[in-house]
Amino acid sequence: MSQVRIRVPEKVKAGEVVTVRALVTHPMESMLHRDGKIVEKNYNFIHKVEASYNGKPVFEAETSQAVSQNPFFSFPVKVNEPGKVKVIFHDTEGKTYTGEADIKF
Amino acid sequence: MKLTQNVPMAGRRQVLKLLGAVGAVAGLASLGALPRAAEAATGLGVPKPDEKVEETIKRLFGNRTLQTAGDKMKVELPLIAENGAVVPVRIESNLPMEVNNYVKNVYIITDKNRRPLNARLSLTPEAGKLSLATNIRMGGTSDVRVIAEMSDGSLWQHKQEVKITVGGCGG
Repeated sequence: MSQVRIRVPEKVKAGEVVTVRALVTHPMESMLHRDGKIVEKNYNFIHKVEASYNGKPVFEAETSQAVSQNPFFSFPVKVNEPGKVKVIFHDTEGKTYTGEADIKF
Repeated sequence: MKLTQNVPMAGRRQVLKLLGAVGAVAGLASLGALPRAAEAATGLGVPKPDEKVEETIKRLFGNRTLQTAGDKMKVELPLIAENGAVVPVRIESNLPMEVNNYVKNVYIITDKNRRPLNARLSLTPEAGKLSLATNIRMGGTSDVRVIAEMSDGSLWQHKQEVKITVGGCGG
Protein backbone atom coordinates (compact mmCIF):
# COMPACT_ATOMS: atom_id res chain seq x y z
CA MET A 1 0.00 0.00 0.00
CA SER A 2 1.32 3.26 -0.99
CA GLN A 3 0.08 6.53 0.24
CA VAL A 4 0.39 10.07 -0.94
CA ARG A 5 0.41 12.92 1.51
CA ILE A 6 0.24 16.53 0.40
CA ARG A 7 0.68 19.54 2.62
CA VAL A 8 -0.32 23.05 1.65
CA PRO A 9 -0.40 26.21 3.76
CA GLU A 10 -3.69 26.83 5.53
CA LYS A 11 -4.09 30.51 4.80
CA VAL A 12 -3.21 31.85 1.40
CA LYS A 13 -3.49 35.28 -0.19
CA ALA A 14 -4.23 35.80 -3.87
CA GLY A 15 -1.09 36.15 -5.97
CA GLU A 16 1.09 34.50 -3.36
CA VAL A 17 3.61 31.80 -4.16
CA VAL A 18 2.96 28.86 -1.86
CA THR A 19 5.13 25.83 -1.25
CA VAL A 20 3.43 22.49 -1.67
CA ARG A 21 5.01 19.44 -0.05
CA ALA A 22 4.16 16.06 -1.49
CA LEU A 23 5.28 12.72 -0.12
CA VAL A 24 4.62 9.19 -1.26
CA THR A 25 5.30 6.02 0.66
CA HIS A 26 7.36 3.97 -1.74
CA PRO A 27 10.39 1.70 -1.29
CA MET A 28 12.29 3.10 -4.31
CA GLU A 29 14.03 -0.23 -4.77
CA SER A 30 17.16 -0.04 -6.82
CA MET A 31 18.11 -2.57 -9.43
CA LEU A 32 20.57 -4.65 -7.53
CA HIS A 33 19.03 -5.61 -4.24
CA ARG A 34 15.84 -7.11 -3.04
CA ASP A 35 15.65 -8.92 0.28
CA GLY A 36 19.41 -8.63 0.55
CA LYS A 37 20.04 -10.66 -2.58
CA ILE A 38 21.43 -9.34 -5.80
CA VAL A 39 18.81 -9.64 -8.49
CA GLU A 40 18.70 -8.43 -12.01
CA LYS A 41 15.78 -6.44 -13.40
CA ASN A 42 14.04 -6.43 -10.13
CA TYR A 43 13.64 -2.81 -9.42
CA ASN A 44 10.74 -0.58 -8.66
CA PHE A 45 11.06 3.11 -8.16
CA ILE A 46 9.16 6.30 -8.83
CA HIS A 47 10.43 7.62 -12.13
CA LYS A 48 8.03 10.41 -12.81
CA VAL A 49 6.11 12.93 -10.79
CA GLU A 50 3.54 15.29 -12.24
CA ALA A 51 1.85 18.10 -10.37
CA SER A 52 -0.89 20.38 -11.58
CA TYR A 53 -2.90 23.23 -10.13
CA ASN A 54 -6.45 23.56 -11.41
CA GLY A 55 -5.46 21.34 -14.31
CA LYS A 56 -2.45 23.45 -15.36
CA PRO A 57 0.88 21.69 -15.01
CA VAL A 58 3.21 23.42 -12.55
CA PHE A 59 5.86 20.89 -11.70
CA GLU A 60 7.25 17.71 -13.13
CA ALA A 61 10.11 15.52 -12.02
CA GLU A 62 12.00 12.67 -13.56
CA THR A 63 13.71 10.73 -10.86
CA SER A 64 16.18 7.88 -10.74
CA GLN A 65 16.90 5.34 -8.02
CA ALA A 66 19.14 7.95 -6.47
CA VAL A 67 16.18 9.59 -4.78
CA SER A 68 15.51 8.54 -1.23
CA GLN A 69 13.00 5.99 -0.07
CA ASN A 70 9.56 7.51 0.52
CA PRO A 71 10.42 10.34 -1.85
CA PHE A 72 9.40 13.83 -0.93
CA PHE A 73 9.24 16.89 -3.14
CA SER A 74 8.41 20.44 -2.38
CA PHE A 75 7.60 22.82 -5.18
CA PRO A 76 6.18 26.32 -5.63
CA VAL A 77 2.76 27.22 -6.98
CA LYS A 78 1.56 30.73 -7.68
CA VAL A 79 -2.07 30.91 -6.62
CA ASN A 80 -4.42 33.50 -8.06
CA GLU A 81 -7.62 31.66 -7.26
CA PRO A 82 -8.62 28.86 -4.90
CA GLY A 83 -8.20 25.45 -6.37
CA LYS A 84 -6.89 21.98 -6.22
CA VAL A 85 -3.34 20.70 -6.32
CA LYS A 86 -3.06 17.27 -7.85
CA VAL A 87 0.12 15.23 -7.71
CA ILE A 88 0.60 11.97 -9.59
CA PHE A 89 3.52 9.64 -8.95
CA HIS A 90 4.36 6.98 -11.53
CA ASP A 91 6.53 3.98 -10.67
CA THR A 92 8.37 1.63 -12.98
CA GLU A 93 5.87 -1.16 -12.42
CA GLY A 94 3.25 1.04 -14.05
CA LYS A 95 1.38 1.87 -10.88
CA THR A 96 0.29 5.41 -10.20
CA TYR A 97 -0.30 7.08 -6.88
CA THR A 98 -2.45 10.18 -6.84
CA GLY A 99 -2.97 12.77 -4.17
CA GLU A 100 -5.03 15.93 -4.04
CA ALA A 101 -5.18 18.93 -1.76
CA ASP A 102 -7.36 22.02 -1.73
CA ILE A 103 -5.91 25.49 -1.50
CA LYS A 104 -8.36 27.78 0.23
CA PHE A 105 -8.27 31.50 0.73
CA MET B 1 21.32 -13.95 -13.05
CA LYS B 2 23.66 -16.36 -14.77
CA LEU B 3 24.71 -13.79 -17.29
CA THR B 4 25.75 -11.43 -14.51
CA GLN B 5 27.73 -14.04 -12.68
CA ASN B 6 29.65 -15.42 -15.61
CA VAL B 7 30.33 -12.40 -17.76
CA PRO B 8 32.96 -9.97 -16.49
CA MET B 9 31.84 -6.43 -15.64
CA ALA B 10 33.12 -4.78 -18.81
CA GLY B 11 31.25 -7.28 -20.97
CA ARG B 12 28.06 -6.73 -19.09
CA ARG B 13 28.34 -3.00 -19.49
CA GLN B 14 28.82 -3.30 -23.21
CA VAL B 15 25.81 -5.55 -23.46
CA LEU B 16 23.80 -3.08 -21.44
CA LYS B 17 24.91 -0.24 -23.69
CA LEU B 18 23.99 -2.19 -26.80
CA LEU B 19 20.65 -3.11 -25.38
CA GLY B 20 20.09 0.40 -24.13
CA ALA B 21 17.90 1.77 -26.89
CA VAL B 22 15.97 -1.39 -27.67
CA GLY B 23 15.86 -2.59 -24.09
CA ALA B 24 14.47 0.69 -22.84
CA VAL B 25 11.29 0.27 -24.82
CA ALA B 26 11.03 -3.48 -24.41
CA GLY B 27 11.80 -3.28 -20.70
CA LEU B 28 9.06 -0.81 -20.07
CA ALA B 29 6.56 -2.84 -22.03
CA SER B 30 7.38 -6.02 -20.16
CA LEU B 31 6.94 -4.23 -16.86
CA GLY B 32 3.55 -3.03 -17.93
CA ALA B 33 4.55 0.61 -17.60
CA LEU B 34 3.03 3.37 -19.66
CA PRO B 35 3.76 2.79 -23.34
CA ARG B 36 5.44 6.10 -24.01
CA ALA B 37 8.24 5.04 -26.31
CA ALA B 38 9.74 8.47 -26.85
CA GLU B 39 9.89 9.13 -23.17
CA ALA B 40 11.41 5.75 -22.41
CA ALA B 41 14.37 6.55 -24.63
CA THR B 42 15.34 9.66 -22.70
CA GLY B 43 13.60 9.20 -19.37
CA LEU B 44 14.87 7.74 -16.16
CA GLY B 45 12.20 5.05 -16.01
CA VAL B 46 14.71 2.41 -17.05
CA PRO B 47 17.97 2.13 -15.15
CA LYS B 48 20.82 3.34 -17.28
CA PRO B 49 24.26 1.78 -17.51
CA ASP B 50 26.87 3.30 -15.24
CA GLU B 51 28.50 6.44 -16.55
CA LYS B 52 30.96 9.12 -15.53
CA VAL B 53 29.73 12.54 -14.55
CA GLU B 54 31.45 14.17 -17.55
CA GLU B 55 29.45 11.91 -19.85
CA THR B 56 26.23 12.76 -18.06
CA ILE B 57 26.86 16.46 -18.42
CA LYS B 58 27.82 16.09 -22.06
CA ARG B 59 24.70 14.03 -22.73
CA LEU B 60 22.42 16.53 -21.01
CA PHE B 61 23.93 19.85 -21.98
CA GLY B 62 26.22 19.23 -24.96
CA ASN B 63 28.88 21.92 -25.18
CA ARG B 64 26.92 24.67 -23.46
CA THR B 65 28.87 26.52 -20.78
CA LEU B 66 27.98 26.09 -17.14
CA GLN B 67 27.99 29.48 -15.46
CA THR B 68 28.62 29.70 -11.75
CA ALA B 69 25.35 30.56 -10.07
CA GLY B 70 26.86 32.38 -7.08
CA ASP B 71 24.21 34.60 -5.51
CA LYS B 72 21.59 33.75 -8.11
CA MET B 73 20.81 30.40 -6.57
CA LYS B 74 20.90 29.33 -2.97
CA VAL B 75 21.33 25.61 -2.41
CA GLU B 76 21.07 24.11 1.04
CA LEU B 77 22.97 20.86 1.39
CA PRO B 78 24.50 19.37 4.51
CA LEU B 79 28.29 19.65 4.82
CA ILE B 80 28.38 16.23 6.43
CA ALA B 81 25.50 13.82 5.99
CA GLU B 82 25.43 10.89 8.38
CA ASN B 83 23.34 8.75 6.10
CA GLY B 84 23.77 8.75 2.33
CA ALA B 85 20.31 7.26 1.88
CA VAL B 86 18.64 10.53 2.79
CA VAL B 87 20.44 13.73 1.89
CA PRO B 88 18.14 16.74 1.93
CA VAL B 89 18.52 19.28 -0.86
CA ARG B 90 16.79 22.63 -0.87
CA ILE B 91 17.04 25.04 -3.76
CA GLU B 92 15.89 28.65 -3.61
CA SER B 93 16.53 31.21 -6.26
CA ASN B 94 15.67 34.64 -7.55
CA LEU B 95 16.13 33.64 -11.14
CA PRO B 96 13.22 35.03 -13.17
CA MET B 97 10.01 33.01 -13.54
CA GLU B 98 8.21 34.93 -16.26
CA VAL B 99 6.30 33.57 -19.20
CA ASN B 100 9.13 34.14 -21.66
CA ASN B 101 12.05 33.69 -19.36
CA TYR B 102 11.85 31.07 -16.66
CA VAL B 103 13.72 28.22 -15.06
CA LYS B 104 12.75 25.21 -17.09
CA ASN B 105 14.68 22.40 -15.47
CA VAL B 106 16.74 21.86 -12.38
CA TYR B 107 19.14 18.93 -12.50
CA ILE B 108 20.56 17.35 -9.37
CA ILE B 109 23.77 15.48 -10.12
CA THR B 110 25.98 13.58 -7.70
CA ASP B 111 29.42 13.33 -9.29
CA LYS B 112 30.50 10.02 -7.83
CA ASN B 113 27.25 8.08 -7.96
CA ARG B 114 27.35 5.24 -10.45
CA ARG B 115 24.59 7.00 -12.36
CA PRO B 116 25.23 10.60 -11.53
CA LEU B 117 21.85 12.08 -12.48
CA ASN B 118 19.68 11.94 -9.37
CA ALA B 119 16.68 13.80 -10.65
CA ARG B 120 15.44 16.34 -13.10
CA LEU B 121 12.88 18.72 -11.71
CA SER B 122 10.91 20.80 -14.21
CA LEU B 123 8.86 23.89 -13.58
CA THR B 124 6.46 25.99 -15.62
CA PRO B 125 5.93 29.75 -15.32
CA GLU B 126 2.81 28.92 -13.27
CA ALA B 127 5.13 28.07 -10.40
CA GLY B 128 5.99 31.73 -9.86
CA LYS B 129 9.30 31.22 -8.09
CA LEU B 130 12.12 28.71 -7.94
CA SER B 131 11.84 26.94 -4.63
CA LEU B 132 12.33 23.20 -4.58
CA ALA B 133 13.30 20.52 -2.11
CA THR B 134 13.77 16.79 -2.16
CA ASN B 135 15.89 14.03 -0.66
CA ILE B 136 18.57 12.28 -2.64
CA ARG B 137 20.70 9.18 -2.21
CA MET B 138 24.47 9.37 -2.33
CA GLY B 139 26.84 6.43 -2.60
CA GLY B 140 29.63 8.24 -0.78
CA THR B 141 31.40 11.54 -0.28
CA SER B 142 31.09 13.48 -3.50
CA ASP B 143 30.50 16.81 -5.12
CA VAL B 144 26.84 17.55 -5.72
CA ARG B 145 25.88 19.83 -8.57
CA VAL B 146 22.61 21.64 -8.92
CA ILE B 147 22.20 22.98 -12.43
CA ALA B 148 19.35 25.30 -13.37
CA GLU B 149 18.46 25.43 -17.04
CA MET B 150 16.65 28.56 -18.20
CA SER B 151 14.09 28.52 -20.98
CA ASP B 152 16.63 30.30 -23.25
CA GLY B 153 19.14 27.50 -22.68
CA SER B 154 21.57 29.22 -20.33
CA LEU B 155 22.83 27.14 -17.44
CA TRP B 156 23.63 28.08 -13.87
CA GLN B 157 25.56 25.69 -11.69
CA HIS B 158 26.05 25.37 -7.97
CA LYS B 159 28.62 22.83 -6.84
CA GLN B 160 29.29 21.72 -3.30
CA GLU B 161 30.94 18.79 -1.59
CA VAL B 162 28.90 16.64 0.76
CA LYS B 163 30.72 14.25 3.09
CA ILE B 164 28.96 10.97 3.71
CA THR B 165 29.61 8.74 6.70
CA VAL B 166 27.43 5.82 5.53
CA GLY B 167 26.75 5.22 1.83
CA GLY B 168 23.18 5.02 0.68
CA CYS B 169 23.09 3.39 -2.73
CA GLY B 170 22.93 -0.15 -1.41
CA GLY B 171 26.69 -0.75 -1.68
